Amino acid sequence: MTSKLLLYWLKKITPIILTVIFIAWLYKFYGAWDYTIKNISEFFTLVFQHFILVIISMAASVSIGLLLGVIMTRKGMEKAATVVMAIVNVWQSVPSLGVIALAYGFLPLIGMSGIGMIPALTALFLHTVAPVVRNTYSGIKGISDDIIEAATGMGMTKQQILFKIEIPNALPVIMGGVRTSTAIIVGTAPLATLIGGGGLGFWIFTGIALVDMGIMMAGAVPVAVIAMLFDYILEWSEKGLVSRGILAEAV
Amino acid sequence: MGTMLSLQKVTKIYPGADHIKAVDDLSFDLEEGEICTFVGPSGCGKSTAMKMINRLISITSGKIFIDGKNIANLNTITLRRKIGYVIQNIGLFPNMTIGENIAIIPKLLGWNKGKIDEKVQSLLEIVNLAPEEFRDRYPRELSGGQQQRVGVARGMAGDPPIMLMDEPFGAIDPINRASLQDEFLKIQTKLKKTIVFVTHDIDEAIKMGDKICLLKAGKLVQFSTPEAILTHPKNEFVSDFVGGDRTLKRLNLFTIKRAMKDNPPVVQETDTIEKANTLFSEWDTSYLISVDSDGLLKGMLKADAIPEGAKTVKAAAQPTRAFLPAHSSLKDGLSEIFTHDYGFLIVVDDAGQVLGWLHTEDIKETLKG
Repeated sequence: MTSKLLLYWLKKITPIILTVIFIAWLYKFYGAWDYTIKNISEFFTLVFQHFILVIISMAASVSIGLLLGVIMTRKGMEKAATVVMAIVNVWQSVPSLGVIALAYGFLPLIGMSGIGMIPALTALFLHTVAPVVRNTYSGIKGISDDIIEAATGMGMTKQQILFKIEIPNALPVIMGGVRTSTAIIVGTAPLATLIGGGGLGFWIFTGIALVDMGIMMAGAVPVAVIAMLFDYILEWSEKGLVSRGILAEAV
Repeated sequence: MGTMLSLQKVTKIYPGADHIKAVDDLSFDLEEGEICTFVGPSGCGKSTAMKMINRLISITSGKIFIDGKNIANLNTITLRRKIGYVIQNIGLFPNMTIGENIAIIPKLLGWNKGKIDEKVQSLLEIVNLAPEEFRDRYPRELSGGQQQRVGVARGMAGDPPIMLMDEPFGAIDPINRASLQDEFLKIQTKLKKTIVFVTHDIDEAIKMGDKICLLKAGKLVQFSTPEAILTHPKNEFVSDFVGGDRTLKRLNLFTIKRAMKDNPPVVQETDTIEKANTLFSEWDTSYLISVDSDGLLKGMLKADAIPEGAKTVKAAAQPTRAFLPAHSSLKDGLSEIFTHDYGFLIVVDDAGQVLGWLHTEDIKETLKG
């Protein structure tokens, strides 16, 4: 039993440890460490900007995506839902860089600046709201009619059904959408620097432009760490939020 | 006991070109504490009629009164919380534990925690699920039969005077269904809810119903007791629907107690074989029921199977399984008579005390009325 458990953990953490060692070696080898230490205050500014980019666009995607997804499932919205879902599906297939470029080109047309953090956030949000809308919609639509009929027949109000039945039961699907969104946001955030949005992408693109692996790694490695951090946070919060009654692995 | 539920000329027409009446001019009264089974071929409007009572389906014309109040004047949410609702596919909430599922309506009604916990505990006991074992489990960890027990418990949780049950045992295998039906009837003798029970199975309708409401194409064909439907079917449709074996079905409506004869041929197990032999000729029978001094059933003494040298009845009698409690149905009684060779069945009470005996002739007499 104990040896089995040990083996399980070894299997689980060995790849992580190896990856960390490898990245740390690269980081040190190319001089990224020294570069970071030398520019430590800029480093913190970029990390801060990066977190702002990720957290704000994520918060906007999740809250507005959830709201829109729920509205689409309401009675009388069937026609609107078909249209919105079609748009959402098409929109999701636009590449990240394309959305950034679109924000840069389109926002000036409606009197906003195409340069800076706001257009970057707008682009990230617009690009990642789709999976949340789609998964919220299909998660709620996928709940069996019997459950809703039972809840209605028992005298639960529409609001109670939404918050106590529909959202909790659709949560695994919704969380799937949130994770997809987060993955896209974390992956796209480095591109924000292209339209002056700041973040760790600045060092990555500077490094590429100067053909300096050290500067590039000084940006890329923290980006990877942030990506893993968010993935971990989401996995952990999913376990906390989703009822054991519907969690796939739980017995 | 007054009228709890009253339907007056209730009609449902679904919007559409052909204006077919799903429920057509349905009227009946149901007394407090009665079970009324809605039965009929599929598409007869039985579910529609039931769902108008808690306004899941709107009424096109006519009125429904619950406890004298027109439901059209009640808030739908308040109305539904006073009506227990149990459906065929159960519809337990997967994200909630069994305890939480049952506690939903009490919580919405604003009961305090202590009262809710007590209610959950007692309901789980009533439906034969050990509270400690089941309260914190999730629906998917339960079998279909167990889930439906929870469904019934949940329906009763808010102490509703009325319950609507839409084919509640329809999705459960026949063996479990029969035991759920029996258990439910036992619960009902204590709780005395007014119940509308939808089923497509005439046997279930007969077994569960104090009244049967037989529907065809939205119209009420016959509303009466199971006994009346079986003995006096109103027309050919009813007699076809209840089936050619309707006389046999009536066996389910009577208990053995009603048909049995008192004073069965008993012999004390302490009596001697000589005494038993006189009783054999006195009763003109080859079987005597052996009892102890408290009248508890001990066995059967067979005239042609007394071992040589046996001095007392106790030594000669053999254990027997040819007995049933008095509250069993005549159908079970008849079946047991045919299972054993004695030509009669011993009737006992729950403690095992011999009450009487039952012959096929007694059953015939009872069916004649």
